[in-house]
Amino acid sequence: MSEVPKIVYDSLCAARPERALPEGTGPERAHPDADLLTAFAEQALSVTERDGVLEHLALCADCREVVALAIPAADIVAAPIATNNEAARATKITTKAARNWLTSPKFAPSLRWAALAAGVAVVASVLLVHPGKLNRAMPPSANRQVATIAPPASGPQIASSPIASSSTDQSAASTKIAEARPRSELRLPKKLKAGQVMTPPHQADLGRLIADNRKDSSQADKLSAAPSAGASAFDAQTRRGATETVEVSAAAVAVEVAPSAERSLTARNETPAIEKAKPALQGIEANEQQKTETTVVSGSARLQARNVMSAAKLALPASPTSARNVTWTITAGVLQRSLDSGQSWQNALRADHPLLCYASHDEDVWTGGQAGTLFHSANSGITWAQVRPSIKAQQLISDVTHIDITHIDVRSDVPGPAEIVVSTSNNEIWSSADGGKTWEKK
Amino acid sequence: MPISAQSGYGADIAAALYIRSGAAAYDVSAEQFAAILDEILRKYFDLAHNSTHASAEQKADFCAGLRLEELALARACAEGNERAWQDFISRYRHKLHGMALHITRDGAHAAELADSLFADLYGVNARDGVRRSKLVFYTGRGSLEGWLRTVMAQEFINRYRKQKRMVSLEEQTEEGMQFAAAVPEPVCASDRTSDRTSDQRLEAATDEALAELSPEDRFTLASYYLDGRTLAEIARTLGLHESSVSRRLDRLATGLRKRILAGLRMQGMSHAQAAEALETDVRDLRLNLRSRLMQDSGAKTFPEGKVPAQDAGKGSN
Repeated sequence: MSEVPKIVYDSLCAARPERALPEGTGPERAHPDADLLTAFAEQALSVTERDGVLEHLALCADCREVVALAIPAADIVAAPIATNNEAARATKITTKAARNWLTSPKFAPSLRWAALAAGVAVVASVLLVHPGKLNRAMPPSANRQVATIAPPASGPQIASSPIASSSTDQSAASTKIAEARPRSELRLPKKLKAGQVMTPPHQADLGRLIADNRKDSSQADKLSAAPSAGASAFDAQTRRGATETVEVSAAAVAVEVAPSAERSLTARNETPAIEKAKPALQGIEANEQQKTETTVVSGSARLQARNVMSAAKLALPASPTSARNVTWTITAGVLQRSLDSGQSWQNALRADHPLLCYASHDEDVWTGGQAGTLFHSANSGITWAQVRPSIKAQQLISDVTHIDITHIDVRSDVPGPAEIVVSTSNNEIWSSADGGKTWEKK
Repeated sequence: MPISAQSGYGADIAAALYIRSGAAAYDVSAEQFAAILDEILRKYFDLAHNSTHASAEQKADFCAGLRLEELALARACAEGNERAWQDFISRYRHKLHGMALHITRDGAHAAELADSLFADLYGVNARDGVRRSKLVFYTGRGSLEGWLRTVMAQEFINRYRKQKRMVSLEEQTEEGMQFAAAVPEPVCASDRTSDRTSDQRLEAATDEALAELSPEDRFTLASYYLDGRTLAEIARTLGLHESSVSRRLDRLATGLRKRILAGLRMQGMSHAQAAEALETDVRDLRLNLRSRLMQDSGAKTFPEGKVPAQDAGKGSN
């Protein structure tokens, strides 16, 4: 930071509020009251008033200190994220995670380099031992555990319970996955609705792959825009194991919303469902046209899982939209965001009042809470703007309990104005068709 | 409900504001609430803005922008409504302790500060036999929680200053402070006149350069260079990103130097002389800066020994 000339320090120190005020101005004029300082800190003043308060604060060290103490330690401005390219984003996330881990103050510099060297050595040894086999769907492995579970009768159940099976089953399953790969289609469970729980497996903390197959080929036709199905879920431990798995993670989350008209209707529903499964797993659904077998690969076979992931990754198209792998949740009134499919969470927004609900669509995120608190971010939570819905003299002050984002033309893939519908605790419904500029109360 | 004499807006808007506030739940009548809004309008429109001719629509918009629900709660608490106090305690009791801990960074002091503020909010200290709650000063411009935090910060600073003033000489000696007569700096008599002239021109150029800055820029400078606030703190205060504040500070530092040099040249100095004056003055100004920093600004900043928290809202009365 550039230093200012010392004379500037002196002039700033010598400045006093009373010098800048005209004669006869009262003490209450000299110091803004607590109301004004609060409104200033909350960015709720008009431009004129704000300039007046700033004029005083520039001269008054005591009021500056009051303002500094009165501002809560909230991280309103979150760390920037997002690129448009899915693969680039996955790489960035991987790099960022590695950098954070390596640059953590808990890590001594020598340990960082040792860890880096060890990682390079492991990767090099794997490449040397298994040259050209990394992209196979199922490399031979004596330690892997493959379990078969009952196929889902219908609907998008991803719940599973790993049951050990014979090695014959393992081979069959792996063969099926390998066969399914070229024509696999990744798409959304067709009837996933709000409140429907993607039940996490009992041993959710183990890395696993879930392949959910379905018979309904007509649904695949409906979603012809999306590629054909494959899905997997794996946990944080598996992702830590290899860089490729993180990349697949981004792709896997991209699968959560198929790039079709149905996406806009179900976009909001998917995110909570995925969150209910966090932080244990993320789902990727594998659909084979005439096979109904669901396969689970446990986290103990990490290399195997990674290879399957790589295979699935090859079949995945790049997602056309960004921010698809940002996952949201609300914990203790604070909106949190995960960039790594629930592996780690960061506070995205802490408001004056506890937040209660949220809705997201692509980079558009809305969150609401007690006392009419409503915030909007158009860039996946990088910046937030407080929205105060009002109609003439009536303002939204009740607790916001539910938010819906509905695209007006659900058949259009072109980003356009979305209708925001806000429900409150006293059964009011506020809606805005222009991104929150004007509101209607129903 | 009759149209408020002060507000001027219609009865329907007044009724809508009253309903929105939920004041009825705390036994605050529509007339009482309209009187509260009148008092706030008087404070911010007549006294602060000196704009007695604000339109009814402007006033209605202003009132609509207030935190009416929290205003009703605060005023009902000030009136001693039991249900309002129950709501207030359930909402803010724990938060007050959290705020105090955030401000004091010390558990014992935090409890003391929070309890003290709670007593002030309840109005333990009766004046002329009437219990006076500090909540009557809340006007709903910001959130009630933010207002409580601000009042608490003011109270903390006031307490700290009081305690600082009451430290005995023995305690200061124990802390290692040494008391000795100040040794005057030897000043060469022949250089006094020229130095004084140079200082005056430098001060004038600096004051002029600072006066050209916007209030926000001056606030940013003072917060960073005088108060030692971090970029993150300043950014949060101004609602900006840290990088914006950083860029602004760089721009200000560079610009100020240029403006001061230009000002010195305008007063007849050559570029070399101006640069020399700016650099030479650094050594002298360290002494000036130190002497100015040693001044106790408390008495000047808060006239009559009152804290801003106690003065808060007096303009409305």
